[in-house]
Amino acid sequence: MNLAIFIVIVAALALGVILRLAVSQSLQAKGTTDLAVAIRPIDTEAFRNLINPAEDEYLRRRLPPPQFRAVRRARLRAMAVYVQAAGANAAVLVRVGEAALASADPRFAAAAQQLVNDALLLRRNTTVALVRIYLALALPNSGFAAVRVVDRYEHLSGVAMLLGRLQNPAAAIRLSALR
Amino acid sequence: MLQIALAVILWRRGIHRQFPVFFAYLVFEAVEQLTLYGLDVFPSVSTEAWWIACSVSLVLEGFLRLGVMGELFFHLLHSRPAIAKVGGRLITWAGAVLVLLATLAAAYAPIGNLAIASRAYILQQTLYMIECGLLLFLFLFTASFRLTWDRASLGIGLGRGISSSVHLATWAVMANGALAHRYYLLDFLNMATYQFCVLLWFYYLLIPQKIATTSAVPLPENNLDIWNRELERLLQQP
Repeated sequence: MNLAIFIVIVAALALGVILRLAVSQSLQAKGTTDLAVAIRPIDTEAFRNLINPAEDEYLRRRLPPPQFRAVRRARLRAMAVYVQAAGANAAVLVRVGEAALASADPRFAAAAQQLVNDALLLRRNTTVALVRIYLALALPNSGFAAVRVVDRYEHLSGVAMLLGRLQNPAAAIRLSALR
Repeated sequence: MLQIALAVILWRRGIHRQFPVFFAYLVFEAVEQLTLYGLDVFPSVSTEAWWIACSVSLVLEGFLRLGVMGELFFHLLHSRPAIAKVGGRLITWAGAVLVLLATLAAAYAPIGNLAIASRAYILQQTLYMIECGLLLFLFLFTASFRLTWDRASLGIGLGRGISSSVHLATWAVMANGALAHRYYLLDFLNMATYQFCVLLWFYYLLIPQKIATTSAVPLPENNLDIWNRELERLLQQP
């Protein structure tokens, strides 16, 4: 009997989540305008500095261990903010790319498809990177490399720009902060 | 009857080629219900024989429902190779965990006086637990990557999601011996839910989607020269 009640509650929760996600999916399909406004520019250079292992090594040599751990945690938290922003931008670009795919204009198809694939890869990588950052927060002395996220982000920027150029030669998506 | 009508229309419009497993499921489900009803009213068919037929058809139906899941997954990921591999791995793991949980739940369910009926209830609970879990995973996976479903897949997924979660709840109640003597109410709930889902499939599969925008998505302001310089500078770094 207890098991039945538990399963009924789980089933009701599952139904609620499925309905909510299906409705948001329908709304998402309708509201594809002003998507690019949601993109937050990211200073990739500052991010690259933040994840530079040489800087970590320098700090490790110069600072006493407790102070190093505190600085390392602060740097990791800042890193997480950057990665979350990159992931959010990737999510927006998935929708921008899929909207461009749906526009049925063959000129955009290849660029849009590449943008969707690269944005999905970046989104996957940011998820993995966030897991590693949070693990590193728990163990600040461990090594950490998020270089692939930066590389992927730069590549994605190029693809987004290509699609933007195709859609509107006068303007394109900007993912990194202007320097 | 609604299912047969839907299957005929899907066939005529050629939609069955897009979703062959879902089409097979619709046809099988309609034939299964008619056959089981016929066996139920046929006096020479014993209760045990009916439950055996019911259990066999449930297993076949379960395989078809899992096939529909696979079809939805294929439609979602075949044009997105970047996450097809990770998606395949994740759904395999999710399926394995769900099979384990469903087996545990089945092991704890009681066997009533009519053992074969109890086992059929437990079988239903097991199959719907796996299906409902996989559908939930599919919706969460899609949402986490901000993927867009095509209209037909969304309709099929939503219909199966509603049907499997309601059926999971009702079969769990029956399998665990709750609400005895009121099973007919749960049967009505199951039937009403399923008919609603078939109507949902009519809507999603047969009514065309409104095209909101045919032009390119507007993009924000930018400076391509600065962007290019920035990218070149980054690419030249060791």
